[in-house]
Amino acid sequence: MFTHARWAAGLALIAALAAGCGTGAGLYGTGAKPAATAHSAAPMPAATHHHHHHHARPVHATVTTPPAPATAPAQTDNPIPQGNGGDQDADNNGGPSDGDGNI
Amino acid sequence: MITHTARRGRLILAAMTATAAIVVTVTAVTVSGRSPGHAFPQLHPAAAPANWRHLTLPNGTAVLSYPPSLRPISGDKVAVSAARLTARGAFQLYLNVTPRQGSEQLAQWPAFRLRLLRSDTAASARQVAAAQGVKFRGGTGSCVIDRYVTRIGGHHFQEIACLVVGRISASVIVAAAPAAAWTQARPLLLRAVAAYLIR
Repeated sequence: MFTHARWAAGLALIAALAAGCGTGAGLYGTGAKPAATAHSAAPMPAATHHHHHHHARPVHATVTTPPAPATAPAQTDNPIPQGNGGDQDADNNGGPSDGDGNI
Repeated sequence: MITHTARRGRLILAAMTATAAIVVTVTAVTVSGRSPGHAFPQLHPAAAPANWRHLTLPNGTAVLSYPPSLRPISGDKVAVSAARLTARGAFQLYLNVTPRQGSEQLAQWPAFRLRLLRSDTAASARQVAAAQGVKFRGGTGSCVIDRYVTRIGGHHFQEIACLVVGRISASVIVAAAPAAAWTQARPLLLRAVAAYLIR
């Protein structure tokens, strides 16, 4: 009798452990590709305009920028850092990334 | 004896039921490859509300619509952007459209976008959801929702970024907000993406 009861309890414990591991992987696994497919079954058109890489960035010869701060600003309220590096995009200043091709 | 036998039977039955339920749940999550709630949202392409404003790409191939609470901001000469900022200059909402410039392709877009973020402005980036064959006004796109942390400042953003291919052009639309405010920003950002017009 006790043998069966222990068997049942052990099975439940193993199952519970397995569930914990499986759910964690689904939530936090970085290797998984959560590619949810689309709501539309329409075929994807071929990309016909394959622009050449490395377009020149606009050059701002007379850009006026404030002097770079000596120390990094505090990060409490998601400010735009004032260093204004690169091509003056928001994403070169700690802002959201734009849609350029990193060229 | 009968009582003991019945109790043992109930124990076994309960254990088997629990095991079956757990196995089904684990299998569903594993097979889908994502946790529940991370499905890509439905996008219904539609013109923007009448009071929204519009920015046309300098090359004339696409139109970004944005709500009146946002303002155009400067960026690349070939691109258009609009944003809502706090008084201190922090981004609350961000929209950007840029003509395709690199080797972006529809099928590889989510991976391309994450790779670009990691190699350019983000210290880390992870995909939340993605979709292919998304219908747009005038085209079809591939979209990814992701979260990233900027190298500068360590700011957490969440975005929906779509590569959209139209009849004569291709471009990228990005709609982003601080990750902490994503839930509130999401409906408006999705509305702006759904209103995107490409030629």
